[in-house]
Amino acid sequence: MGPAFLLPAVILLSIILVGPFFYTIFLGFTDLSYSTPGHDGNLVGLANYRRLFSDDPVFWHSVATTLRFVAGSVSIEMLLGFGLALVLASQVHRSRVVMPLLLVPMMLAPVAVGLLWKLVLQGEFGMVTYYLRKIGLIAEDTSLLGDPHLALSSMVMVDIWQWTPFVTLVSLAGLLGLPRAPFEAAMMDGAGRARLFFDITLPLMRPLLAMVLLLRTIDAFKEFDKVFLMTGGGPGTSTELLSIYVYRVNFRNWDLGYGAVCAFMVYLVVLILCKLCYSALGQAGGRRAT
Amino acid sequence: MTRGWRGAAKAVVLAAIVIGLGPYLWMFLTSFKSRVDALADTPRWLFSPTLEHYPEVFLRKDYLPLVWNSVVIAVGSTILSLVLGVPAAYAFARLSFKGKEDLSFFFLTTRMAPAISVVVPMFVLFNRFGLADTRSAVILAHSTFNLSLVVWMMRGFFADIPAEIDEAAMLDGHTRAGAFMRVILPLAAPGVAATAVLCFILSWNEFLYAFILAAFESRTLTVGIPGLVTPHGTLWGQVAAVAVVATLPILLFTALVQKHLVRGLTLGAIKG
Repeated sequence: MGPAFLLPAVILLSIILVGPFFYTIFLGFTDLSYSTPGHDGNLVGLANYRRLFSDDPVFWHSVATTLRFVAGSVSIEMLLGFGLALVLASQVHRSRVVMPLLLVPMMLAPVAVGLLWKLVLQGEFGMVTYYLRKIGLIAEDTSLLGDPHLALSSMVMVDIWQWTPFVTLVSLAGLLGLPRAPFEAAMMDGAGRARLFFDITLPLMRPLLAMVLLLRTIDAFKEFDKVFLMTGGGPGTSTELLSIYVYRVNFRNWDLGYGAVCAFMVYLVVLILCKLCYSALGQAGGRRAT
Repeated sequence: MTRGWRGAAKAVVLAAIVIGLGPYLWMFLTSFKSRVDALADTPRWLFSPTLEHYPEVFLRKDYLPLVWNSVVIAVGSTILSLVLGVPAAYAFARLSFKGKEDLSFFFLTTRMAPAISVVVPMFVLFNRFGLADTRSAVILAHSTFNLSLVVWMMRGFFADIPAEIDEAAMLDGHTRAGAFMRVILPLAAPGVAATAVLCFILSWNEFLYAFILAAFESRTLTVGIPGLVTPHGTLWGQVAAVAVVATLPILLFTALVQKHLVRGLTLGAIKG
């Protein structure tokens, strides 16, 4: 009976996703390029892989940029998001009213988020630029998106703006679902607030926080839309994340064979993160009902 | 809890709301501003509003078909994902079969698949089948993440329904498929509705697949956004108007599914 229920879904995904996945791997062994005459898909063995590992500093620069982006945004999102959830958990009645408002950034289309931050971070008339200058956080002539030293931090800031609510929302659900008994027992023993937090809240929340961390890491690793719209990877290559680089190789240089190898690398990392995420999802959800 | 702590907590929450909503509110206001007000050196929160940008961009610049494309693609992808995904979710919740764990992991990987890694061959594939620059191509591409969202999310909803109900229905003479269609599906209807809204939102908001697979005739509202931003002389009033139309309906939909949002975003792991 199982197959009849499952097959249609599996077949569709095999055609539109698994097929392309293997085709990407195959393309990686060819020299297919729409911009170089004569490079029309001849097999070239491992040449693309050699180029990737020994002859493409730009790729590795984008790897480093991506790591900085992911580490910066996800760590701050976790801290701020979980902190905010703790604050909201202490005033549940209010959180019901507040949560829908807090959710706004993460429900917007990422490309619209990029657009609205491009608007408020404009150098000449941007609203946020104006107030940041007013309180002295940035110099009068500095524009966050135009400065190669600040552009990546700005991307991190926008990602934090968009996704902290996600951490808050899920953490709050977790906090409100914690069993009461351990807390009551510890309070009988005279444990203080700090002890309760570190000895009970944090250990109980660990599986859920691990899951949130992985979900955010995967998403941040794939980031494309916002950065594409706000800076397109610039100024220079200062915000060129992996996905932006892969886009450039494929759709600007039309270097499809080599682009496929880069694309495959991105997929590999996501698959590894998925494996970790899979067990984290199981642990956070407790024993599955099935 | 001391009064000082309460005051600080209130201030934190208030700050979060101001930071979260401020930039969005600014864009909303910009869509009603004249060019002079939009480009003022000092931010203008008060101004005399104009309605010119909306008709200008949606009627004169012909952005209305993009709204229609977005609607058709989001609805199409939602229906396709539900039709194929809901029975699969039921199988995961109720039946035991070989390779169940592997298959469930497979669905997770399709949910997470990086668009940038598969969009080139997808483009080739759809070209070959005459689907280049069609809404069908984007609908199919969006089912990569929506189908697995349905499977993971509905699996949890089905698991919430006691298995005894299926068994009772089958004792009454229903087949397994009949029990699913006639008895369990109606019980899971609220879950299906919430899942559908989430699918719609994810498809509506998606950019990269749509951008590569349908950049012209069938382009969606999100794909239309970057084209409005030019190095010089961006018409911010019009850009903002498009962004408001692209986002405001989604915020209203979110209100409908807020109860189930946690479940959807954590792939069913947390009930919320």
